[in-house]
Amino acid sequence: MSVTVEGLSVVIADKPIVSGIDLNIADGERVGLIGSSGSGKSMISKAMLGLLPLNASVSGSVALGETQVIGAPERELAALRGSYVGTVFQNPAASLNPVMTVAQQIGLPLKLHYDLTTTERAERVAAMLGKVGLAEETANKYPHELSGGQQQRVGIATALITSPRFIIADEPTTALDSITQRQIVDLLTALVDDAGASMLFITHDFSVLARATTRCYVLESGRIVDSGATAEVLADPKTSESKRLVSAARILTLHSADLRNIKEDSHE
Amino acid sequence: MRFVIRRLLLFIAALFGISVVVFAALRILPGDVASIMAGINAPASRVAQLREQLGLNRPLIAQYFDWMGALITGDFGTSILTGRSVTALIGTRASITFPLIILGLLIAMAIGLPLGCAAVLARSPRVRAAFHVLAIIGGSVPALWGGLLLILLFGKGVGLIGVLPSQGFPLDGWGKPGSAVLSLILPALTVGIIVGASLMRYTRAALGDLAGSGYIDMARSCGMTRTQAVLYVGLRLAMPQLVSVIGLTFASMITGVMVIENLFALPGIGNGLVIDVGNRDLIAVQSELFLLAAFFLGVGLVVDVLHRMLDPRLKSVSAVMEVDA
Amino acid sequence: MSGNSNNHRGTADRLAFASAALRSMWRRAEGKFALIVLALWLAIALVSLIWTPQSLWATDGYHVWAAPSAAHWLGTDGTGADVFSWLMAGSRTNLLIVLLTVIVSAVWGLLLIAAMVTRNSALANTSVVVIDALISIPTVLIALILAVPLGASVAVIVIACGFGYGLNLARVARPAALLASRSAYVESALANGASGWQVLVSHIIPNIVPVLAVQLSLSAGTAVLAESGLTYLGIGVPSGVPSWGHSLATSVKLINVFPLTVLWPGLMVTVVVVALNVFGDVLRDAIDPVANPALRQTVVAAEKEDER
Repeated sequence: MSVTVEGLSVVIADKPIVSGIDLNIADGERVGLIGSSGSGKSMISKAMLGLLPLNASVSGSVALGETQVIGAPERELAALRGSYVGTVFQNPAASLNPVMTVAQQIGLPLKLHYDLTTTERAERVAAMLGKVGLAEETANKYPHELSGGQQQRVGIATALITSPRFIIADEPTTALDSITQRQIVDLLTALVDDAGASMLFITHDFSVLARATTRCYVLESGRIVDSGATAEVLADPKTSESKRLVSAARILTLHSADLRNIKEDSHE
Repeated sequence: MRFVIRRLLLFIAALFGISVVVFAALRILPGDVASIMAGINAPASRVAQLREQLGLNRPLIAQYFDWMGALITGDFGTSILTGRSVTALIGTRASITFPLIILGLLIAMAIGLPLGCAAVLARSPRVRAAFHVLAIIGGSVPALWGGLLLILLFGKGVGLIGVLPSQGFPLDGWGKPGSAVLSLILPALTVGIIVGASLMRYTRAALGDLAGSGYIDMARSCGMTRTQAVLYVGLRLAMPQLVSVIGLTFASMITGVMVIENLFALPGIGNGLVIDVGNRDLIAVQSELFLLAAFFLGVGLVVDVLHRMLDPRLKSVSAVMEVDA
Repeated sequence: MSGNSNNHRGTADRLAFASAALRSMWRRAEGKFALIVLALWLAIALVSLIWTPQSLWATDGYHVWAAPSAAHWLGTDGTGADVFSWLMAGSRTNLLIVLLTVIVSAVWGLLLIAAMVTRNSALANTSVVVIDALISIPTVLIALILAVPLGASVAVIVIACGFGYGLNLARVARPAALLASRSAYVESALANGASGWQVLVSHIIPNIVPVLAVQLSLSAGTAVLAESGLTYLGIGVPSGVPSWGHSLATSVKLINVFPLTVLWPGLMVTVVVVALNVFGDVLRDAIDPVANPALRQTVVAAEKEDER
């Protein structure tokens, strides 16, 4: 599904959070959105899903395929979410329903959008568990019984169970350690590519960005300050803001890459 | 399981503590209990007889163990003034108080839960503000005044639409169920509105916190509307909190309706206790206070345990929680 | 690390903080309402000490239970005394009760908090469970137990409410207190030889002041309601002392004489309790640096310190 965002602005309590964002994602493309915390990344993803808090006022245009999200009634958006659009959240421990089993959680989008028998649903959930690399018996566990990485696999399975055409991944690796981060990014991109879906991948981490996306936008204080092929933006940032961001991130990334190497060495 | 056992041990320890406090509170009455009870003009022989009857001339420790020993065997003593056993006394009073608070709680839940949900679901800032004002005012009305206003509206004799009885309970109790229920409507409505406002606040706070949480975003991203997510996911997640609140509210209503029982002249548990305290009916007051305190401690225990059972996170991490707690 | 935390802010900073908070409360309509009502309450209480329309003790056997008139705005009670004057004078008793209750519950609550965050884990664990158990006993019951030896007295209200609200306060403030007590600057203060009490006073209390302030103002509202109930039941303010509970109880009897007089004492109590609750709500926002940008300059450094 192709996605076009034009002039998107979000204001919360008289404070502009996002100002005049333009961004597009072609069918089957994996696009990144990178910025420091507080730059408004999450609000953009929420605006695209119609999940903004009640006190937010939003303007501009967000077209998911044929559907205009801004101003659409909640019922229409709910029909879109979980069927055409899947979402992976930042912190699975704070988003997976704690009183639902893994199977119930992954099966929820199916239950809400499709008329399947319980067995059919269980079969699809079992197949999905296999795809995200979780053991069959995980199905009857509760989220708190899983590790952070396993929880995020459940999150990915829930987002992808209905084979959506567009995935929003909102900092899906931030709550994880660096080894798990890489595994999760690789899993997510592989599954998205297999399905031929498009993806908006939100992160503040340049190494994750490089792994997950081909093209990216750089966000600073609610504005897009740079964009282009991910490799080019990282190698040669055009504007002063993105230069600053990239060089700051490079130090951090190098640092964490060092740590990762050390960790991997000790693992082997 | 370890949690339940620990909580149970604490319950027993607290019962013991309360019994000592209640016992001590009644023995440090200024002056001689027997002569206060007998009245100012009572002859010395009557005072002596009372003292004998109450066992006041025995050592304090012996008095305490006499009382406790009897309590354990289920003997709560005899009211000095009426000559009736405290068990019978409490039974009669409970037959008024419990129907009153059950009715009151049902009204409160019928008001508080839907309004609390509606306050979270409302999208218009004006409507949300109106719910806010409603909740604050409802929680600030003195029970006495709320009752008076309802009497002014509906009370037979004084009210604008005087259709409901506002004084007393039928003398033959539940012999005539119709008139018994009728006499409970206004008091139950009073307590229901006041408690309903506080339930509304709790519901709104619990749901409102959840409405901004990742759980609701997740449910919505799976395809629920905001309303569905708040009602199905939010209410379920708020359940442990709401059950605790409703349980504790129910318990506290036993004494919470004291003022209302008094205003509507209903001879219930709270009203009776106030009268017994006023009359210095030592044995009755001592056992009634202890039983009520025991009841509240028991409810606290049950609510704590239930709270854990409803929340799978707490069930498995209770060991961790206890260390942390 | 500890050089810049809340507790080391000077008196001038504290004043700036308080006035910034008050100003942002005043800017909101409901904040204005709360501050005005509370100021009026204080004013009426003070005035009633030197002047009331009629003397409280001017009884008149010929005009008992009189309907409102020019001389007696809200009528007279069973002794012929002026209901309005008694209602006015009640303000001061209630003000006193509320202040005493707030002090008692603050002191008791802080003692409990100290016990809960102490390094002695046996004491800390015990106090947490004991508070959980005791909190289920209603204030009225405590008041009744006290009323047996003490009779009707202001002390019954203050001790019973102070006890119950203190437990509540401790429970609500515990997470913040625990966070502060395990923070880096407390560790370093302890390492530098500070005693437990010094740490409590100079590090933990300043960090839970917002929770304390809000909780105490809500307790103040509850105390006003408790006074009216307990006094009506005959175990609160003794007869012969003016209080709002006394006026409410009088109005119950006036219902058959002139029903509309019932409205005023109750309305007054409701308005004051609403004001106290709103005050708590607005105060919460006003002293929360996240919700109130005006405070950010003064506290942001300290807050950041707290998070670590």
